[in-house]
Amino acid sequence: MDNKHTLHPDNWITNYSDALYKYTMMRVNDAGIAEDIVQETFLSAWRNKDNYKGEASEKNWLYTICKNKIIDHYRKKSTSIIQYAEADATSSMFDDVEHWTKEDAPKEWGVNYNQTVEKKEFYSILEKCKSKLQQMQQSVFVMKYLEDLDTEEICKVLGITTSNYWVLIHRAKLGLRNCLEKNWVNV
Amino acid sequence: MKRLLNISCKKATYLISLKEEKAIGFFDSIKLKLHLGICSACRLFEQQSWFIKINAKHNHEHLDVSLSNDAKEKMSAALKSMQ
Repeated sequence: MDNKHTLHPDNWITNYSDALYKYTMMRVNDAGIAEDIVQETFLSAWRNKDNYKGEASEKNWLYTICKNKIIDHYRKKSTSIIQYAEADATSSMFDDVEHWTKEDAPKEWGVNYNQTVEKKEFYSILEKCKSKLQQMQQSVFVMKYLEDLDTEEICKVLGITTSNYWVLIHRAKLGLRNCLEKNWVNV
Repeated sequence: MKRLLNISCKKATYLISLKEEKAIGFFDSIKLKLHLGICSACRLFEQQSWFIKINAKHNHEHLDVSLSNDAKEKMSAALKSMQ
């Protein structure tokens, strides 16, 4: 039985452009950049079509190329960011003895914390909250939780140390939690 | 002893974030347990942090964005120009 997949470049844009665009938008939060990445994915796929061995489906193959383009984008972006120049919004969540301030202490959300959410509304708020994070926090969060890259790889791509990494991922969590509580949950 | 084991909420939340991804040291884990025993805000943080983690990787089909026809035509043209 022949399980080899084949490529159909004429149908790429009709079949995959919107899905790849959504996938990219979740990771870069910028319409112009996302458009460029999707286009670059198709062009790069075309250039490399002779290397396609048919082992992965056409769809998975295109997603892999797109994912690499996104990581390239993070790599380029990280070199242009002065990492800690931006004020850290999360430090004001704690008082001078480092306990939660009354305003920012976590409140009960009234949801099952072990369950995934199916509501669209939640995801658009999560996107907005993500886009409000400091650039490096956002990059680390996406690479870790959306791309499943390991710590070592993320540090290499972004040119940061592991202790930088842990601080960034923690601040991303603090920031997202706070934003979700204020915008999604009516507490 | 009490002072040695006491940690702030700031430190506790940091340990919670660490613990979610990798093992933390024995003493850190005891300090965290003790803190969580008395701090309901940090207990909520732990649950909500987990919630964010499992919901971060949702299906991107949920996202309500699409490419404009202009953008698609531009891509088609770019792709054709290579053929």
